[in-house]
Amino acid sequence: MTPALASEAAPDWRGQLSRNQSRTQWVIAIFFLIYLSLGFLLDLYFYARLYPVAPLALIAQALLTLHLIPYATLILFGIAAISLWVTYGLYDKVILMGTDHLEVTSQSAHTAAEKKLYNVVEELTLAAGLRFMPRVFLIDADYMNAFASGYSEKSAMVAITRGLMNKLDRSELQAVMAHELSHIRHLDIKLTLTASVLSNIILMVVDILFYGLLYGRDDRDKRSQGLVTIVLLLRFLLPVVTLLLMLYLSRTREYMADAGCVELMRDNTPLARALIKIDQDHQANKAVYRQQYDMTAHEEVRRAAYLYDPIQAGIEPVRSISSLFSTHPSVKDRLKALGFQ
Amino acid sequence: MGIVIALVIAFVVLAAWIVMIYNKLISLIEAANNNYKQIDVQLDRRYKVFESLINVVKQYMNYEQSTLKEVVALRNQAQQAQAAGDEKRRIAAENDISNIVSGLNVVFEQYPDLKANQNALQLQEEIVNTENKLAFAKQAYNDSVERYNVARKSFFESLVVSGFPKLYKDFIYWSLPADQLQQKENYTVKL
Repeated sequence: MTPALASEAAPDWRGQLSRNQSRTQWVIAIFFLIYLSLGFLLDLYFYARLYPVAPLALIAQALLTLHLIPYATLILFGIAAISLWVTYGLYDKVILMGTDHLEVTSQSAHTAAEKKLYNVVEELTLAAGLRFMPRVFLIDADYMNAFASGYSEKSAMVAITRGLMNKLDRSELQAVMAHELSHIRHLDIKLTLTASVLSNIILMVVDILFYGLLYGRDDRDKRSQGLVTIVLLLRFLLPVVTLLLMLYLSRTREYMADAGCVELMRDNTPLARALIKIDQDHQANKAVYRQQYDMTAHEEVRRAAYLYDPIQAGIEPVRSISSLFSTHPSVKDRLKALGFQ
Repeated sequence: MGIVIALVIAFVVLAAWIVMIYNKLISLIEAANNNYKQIDVQLDRRYKVFESLINVVKQYMNYEQSTLKEVVALRNQAQQAQAAGDEKRRIAAENDISNIVSGLNVVFEQYPDLKANQNALQLQEEIVNTENKLAFAKQAYNDSVERYNVARKSFFESLVVSGFPKLYKDFIYWSLPADQLQQKENYTVKL
């Protein structure tokens, strides 16, 4: 055991869960507000073109009192609902894209390790009180990682790499699975997926507004000056805001899943040991794993779902602006939340 | 007129709210019931697993013959207690079976032949799996009793419960009897 684990404090998983729950509700409320104001802006824009002589303040007032039907807002919400529906339907196939994987069932488990993996998932399904046994996938890769997916208990799945399965002992494997099943139990995948779809739609709408105003503007119309300024500001602010919201959300849910793991295991050491093992393993085999992560296609769809963000070991599978920030809290912070200094 | 409308609205809101609390408590009760049955399922499964386990071990040790008889006897006791509705006696009998199993794991360590046997290794994983499932089923049951008790004793919910006797259930937490607890607390490893 690592000496860092010696100082042990009782982890307050109930407190962690409720704190994070309220954080999540804030994020959702902010998203909802952004949507409403964006729809309002769109309506304002379209009605301003429809009634060229009416002052903007009057149109705004009519919209707020629902004397004018806010078509754009309704359409915006409709588009969001349809995109979410399609995403939910396809997501299970999307998340495993590019990996070399096989499904483990009670019949298809050949080796002792596979049987053990299946048993562990079965045990924790009981502990978590889930009504459906999630499907279990084994990914053929040496790096140690795992993730859960699915938009409901019924469609849920967990996936784990062969490296993780072979290098962890039974209680550590249990802790990792308890973490993943907690993601399912808290409906995290559905939440983060919903948030990412919604934020993408927000960015698209702001772009449309921006170009619409830029090219479709009537210079004689003095009223649109104010709108242009607002949209210009939004175009540069909203991407940052949604990114920060997304990161805040995914980090919060990571802490929650860690707390949920302690709730199921009634013990905080196995998860702490597993996290330290995974972190050290990533540091030790950085070059090899970087290559393996690189060779796996579509790594970006799994990044937020992973148990351990490879970026923390300096491995960047996705080269984009968002990879500057980790979707996960640092291992040190997670250990601290688990009650270890 | 305005007062009447306000009263009607207040009444509708109150009724809807009571219905919500009622439904929530019912689903908590059913969750606890279901989790309790899950313990039965796991106990039954454990009995079958242990029977086959002891059959394998039997080839190596005569000692196990008596163990098998003991497990069967305890199992019968548990079933009789369940039929008679005596929860305490049943829990005690099932816990005794757990004690025998921890003894079996020690037996495994003592016989190198047995440890090398592939079947025995698989069965050892099976024991861990079975005992974990049972422990987690008990834990899930206790958790659901906790959730129900919190809801039942909370303010407002407790008012609704007093109006509907059906919502009052006295679930017993799954725990060790007092005498066994003392015995386990005093237990130390002697080498």
